[in-house]
Amino acid sequence: MTTNEIIQIVTAFIGSLGFAILFNVRGIKLLIASLGGFLAWLLFVLLGYLSVHNEPIRYFIVAAAVSLYAEIMARIFRTPTTTFIITALIPLIPGSSLYYTMAYAFDSDMARFIEKGIYTLELAVALALGILAIGAVMQVVNTLHAVKKK
Amino acid sequence: MKDLLGCVMDIGEQMLLCGAEVHRVEDSVKRMCTALGAAQVDIFIITSSMVATVQIDDDTTYTQSRRVENVGTDIEKLHKLNNLSRAICKKPMTATEIQTELSNISLTTKRYPFWIECISYAIIAGSFTLFFGGNWIEALLSLLIGALIRFVVSLTENMLGNKILAKCLCSFSASALAFLCLRIGWVDSVDMIIVGNIMTLIPGIGLTNAVRDLFTGDSIAGLLRSIEAVLVALAIAAGYFLFIFLTGGVDA
Repeated sequence: MTTNEIIQIVTAFIGSLGFAILFNVRGIKLLIASLGGFLAWLLFVLLGYLSVHNEPIRYFIVAAAVSLYAEIMARIFRTPTTTFIITALIPLIPGSSLYYTMAYAFDSDMARFIEKGIYTLELAVALALGILAIGAVMQVVNTLHAVKKK
Repeated sequence: MKDLLGCVMDIGEQMLLCGAEVHRVEDSVKRMCTALGAAQVDIFIITSSMVATVQIDDDTTYTQSRRVENVGTDIEKLHKLNNLSRAICKKPMTATEIQTELSNISLTTKRYPFWIECISYAIIAGSFTLFFGGNWIEALLSLLIGALIRFVVSLTENMLGNKILAKCLCSFSASALAFLCLRIGWVDSVDMIIVGNIMTLIPGIGLTNAVRDLFTGDSIAGLLRSIEAVLVALAIAAGYFLFIFLTGGVDA
């Protein structure tokens, strides 16, 4: 792992911690929530080593893994899933591509604006699909659980 | 039952205000009403409004509606409200008991003090500057600007009372401070400083909840949230544009 990647993983943890504080997460859940951000970026980097180089696909896999992590932790700590999902997904927010999209727009650099804009959109869609994939699985699990109870 | 419905609506409203997904609130309200003795419950909730009708027997129905404003994010309070709603489903309470519990939750749930929020803004901005490839000097400046932005956030939100305009001004000030650093000559480019500070302003929770709401079939709520998130993102871009436009881009 390069120094750059280690810095990214550590800062992903700290950044998620900062957001967890802003969202008023407390106690042990604060650590679990920020750990989610840490694991998210760790997985992202590891996928690169497993030669998954397509970034939207990496985003999709990481988003799905993080959602699963959030669902499991929410059940262990008996708290809404939102707690862990919103903090753990923070490092995946495409902040820099969004910035460059608007910077190119201001420079009237249309070719790069469109390229970057579409790329940002791709990342956002991959992220959404990752969340949805686990959402679908959880709904099936819940339905089966309800049927079992009856 | 009339009072009970009011209490249940209070709990639901508070949950929405704390940033819960619509699906969760609808589910909780429905379960609570059933546990408290309603024969039929019909609920419609979107992020800004809720309506619930409960039928007790053949000739008694009650309807209440609420307008929900100023949705924020308070996970700790949401956790407590969720526990309360579970408790009610397990063992029905009287209206007064629920009222006491609710005011208890409102009184005992504290937010982190202002200075800790400033530090949070600072470390978010600083760490994402590093995250996206900025150097240590950029990260340090971004850290300081982040703390200042927290002041701008509370100033603008209190004075304007308009979330979108407030975000626009926050992004304007972040860009201004970043370009100031460039002008003084501390950094070679403003990009990473602005990226770090944008991360504190971006509506991440709005988008996540929007996707989750859309998927669970709460399309209207999901669309409302998506549109709000897109508007906020545009406001952030507008703040940045406004600064460059006014100053003609400060060249180093």
